[in-house]
Amino acid sequence: MARGEIVIDEGHCKGCGYCARFCPQGCISLPGNRFSPQGYQLAIFSNPDKCTGCALCGWMCPEFAIDVYRYVEADTSAA
Amino acid sequence: MNLKKELVYTRPRLKLGYGWGHCPGCHHPIVEKLVCEVLDEMALAGKAVGVAGVGCSFGFFGGINVDGCNCAHGAAPAVATGIKHALFGKPLVFTIQGDGDCAAIGGGYVLNAAARAEKITIIMVNNANYGTTGGQLAPTTLLGQVTSTSPRGRESEQGFPIHFPELLAPMQGVTFATRAAPFTPAGYRRARSYLKTAFQRQMQGRGLGFVELLSACPPNWHMTPLEAIQWMEDRMLPEFPEGIFKDTGGE
Amino acid sequence: MSLPERVLVQGNEAIGRGAINAGCRHFFGYPITPQNEITEFFARELPAAGGVFVQSESEAASAAMLYGAGAAGVRAITSTSGAGWGLMQEGISQLANAELPCVIVNMQRGGPGQGTTRHAQMDYLSATRGGGQGGYKTIVLAPASVQECHDLVQLAFHLADRYRNPVVVLGDGILGQMAEPLEIRTIQFDTLPEKDWTIRGFSEREASQHNFISCGQGGVIPLPPYTSYAAFLQRLDEKYRQMTAAEVRYQSYRGEDSHLLLVAYGSTARVCQEAVDMARDEGISASLLRPITLWPFPSEIIRQRAAAGTSLLVVEDSLGQMLDDVRCAAEGRAPVHFLGILARHLPTDGGMILPDRVLEEIKKVS
Repeated sequence: MARGEIVIDEGHCKGCGYCARFCPQGCISLPGNRFSPQGYQLAIFSNPDKCTGCALCGWMCPEFAIDVYRYVEADTSAA
Repeated sequence: MNLKKELVYTRPRLKLGYGWGHCPGCHHPIVEKLVCEVLDEMALAGKAVGVAGVGCSFGFFGGINVDGCNCAHGAAPAVATGIKHALFGKPLVFTIQGDGDCAAIGGGYVLNAAARAEKITIIMVNNANYGTTGGQLAPTTLLGQVTSTSPRGRESEQGFPIHFPELLAPMQGVTFATRAAPFTPAGYRRARSYLKTAFQRQMQGRGLGFVELLSACPPNWHMTPLEAIQWMEDRMLPEFPEGIFKDTGGE
Repeated sequence: MSLPERVLVQGNEAIGRGAINAGCRHFFGYPITPQNEITEFFARELPAAGGVFVQSESEAASAAMLYGAGAAGVRAITSTSGAGWGLMQEGISQLANAELPCVIVNMQRGGPGQGTTRHAQMDYLSATRGGGQGGYKTIVLAPASVQECHDLVQLAFHLADRYRNPVVVLGDGILGQMAEPLEIRTIQFDTLPEKDWTIRGFSEREASQHNFISCGQGGVIPLPPYTSYAAFLQRLDEKYRQMTAAEVRYQSYRGEDSHLLLVAYGSTARVCQEAVDMARDEGISASLLRPITLWPFPSEIIRQRAAAGTSLLVVEDSLGQMLDDVRCAAEGRAPVHFLGILARHLPTDGGMILPDRVLEEIKKVS
């Protein structure tokens, strides 16, 4: 079960592939048939179930195009 | 179990909208990211002034929320000297320069700022060519590397690559001389640590700090970004190893 | 009542004292003859005045250090001559694009190349046209006495801050080396607005937004306030027009309506003053116009004098540089004669254009 998720900003992705290359779980790929408005091949979050929210993809992205989330326990309302 | 999403990583707080528009796979924006993270962590953004050299760093301080400027080719260490002394040493003052800006036309400025033990930090982004102008031979171009002004591959008649932190390390005015390669997560962590230490040394008044950061330059190397970082692994790292070449220690 | 302090000092030292009285506490410079006394003055006096002296590694570095200091909002000065002046040209161009204030003193020596180590007036063109790239302008002030060395440096700092532009003080080896009485005084100028555009760390301004200073304004980096090259050039044009309209300074010596008007600046003007006195003693109608600003040049007064039929005699320790500006200003309405460096009394580098020689020329063209 995924422990995190990412959102790739398609307006900024330049298809360098670093996120896919360094994701330890193989969650990201560049299928080659999705393109950004500028014409770059897009990276897509193709394997969301394996995401741990480690954020290495975010670190490695030169375009500041990846937001990373982790799933945490929601606050329980006061009893 | 009730789960909610928590944002754990996004663009740094100090990053502004303007961007130079670097090539896909260029690590200049990674350097921006590193500087933003370190300055934010050290709460120094409002007490820092930066100087960017000519090249792909020229717009650096238009893109991050830190007082800064750009300047003549190579002159950043002298401009930084002017700023540091104008303000009687108060703020953190650092430069961002390419390898051509820093080691070729700027060589004399770096050497003399180091000789004078100026309390500044010089950050040299090394992509082994002159990127902005279309990929000419630079001081850090490797032997055998093809560039537009070494079309048959750099031969020794065109000189040998400069290893700047190693060169500066023996100088008395230099407190910290390092190299990191932030194209992998481990290198990124190393780069962040070196930058933080360099800034700390400066605030402690220890002397000049020098941090070289390797970057890919895919279009001028005629490679895809992934090929480029493989080339960095295979060829650049053996020539330009990561490490600490000088550290006089902190307080 | 306290008397003003009067000392007997060289022009070079007067430059330094003027800077300190203008509140300048930062000097970045390199040794070169004939201005080493300026560098050495600052090395001695600035630390005691709470300032900073840095000996740079080259004049190109001096200009870059001035850029940094100006960007950080302080009054900073450098001083040079000859080949050092040549090296600074790119740096001045960068200062002009980035709109940074600073004062650059050039105590002229003979050129071109290594030239001589002694006086000359051979940097007029590069100072007034801008020897670096791109056709910028800097106000150029030309002292002709030790007192003016002191006073015009103070004016230079004021004008630099007023227009956010580098200002050049163009002296020469004679002015620098000669000694005259100097009244040490702090000249009052209009108050100027606070510099809110500087880079000092934004917490200094109690702000949360950065300032960004660029030497590629409008072009390489089209960020506000100049989001296009045209917008930036328009600003430069406007600035230079303002300077031209407001900052022309000159001195008229011995009459406004003579038959012959000498035009000379700096130490050569001192020689011409004596020659004009000698000419008047012999009944010759001659006077002297001494530009104090070489840029903006006092073209209008020369245009008027030429239009009224006055002949002009340019006396300049060069092969003819200010001569071009006088010819332009005369608009072909009056003859423009020239007495230059080849009229020095000795062929060696210590030769000078002497009053007797100027008088001889006055008689020849009258």
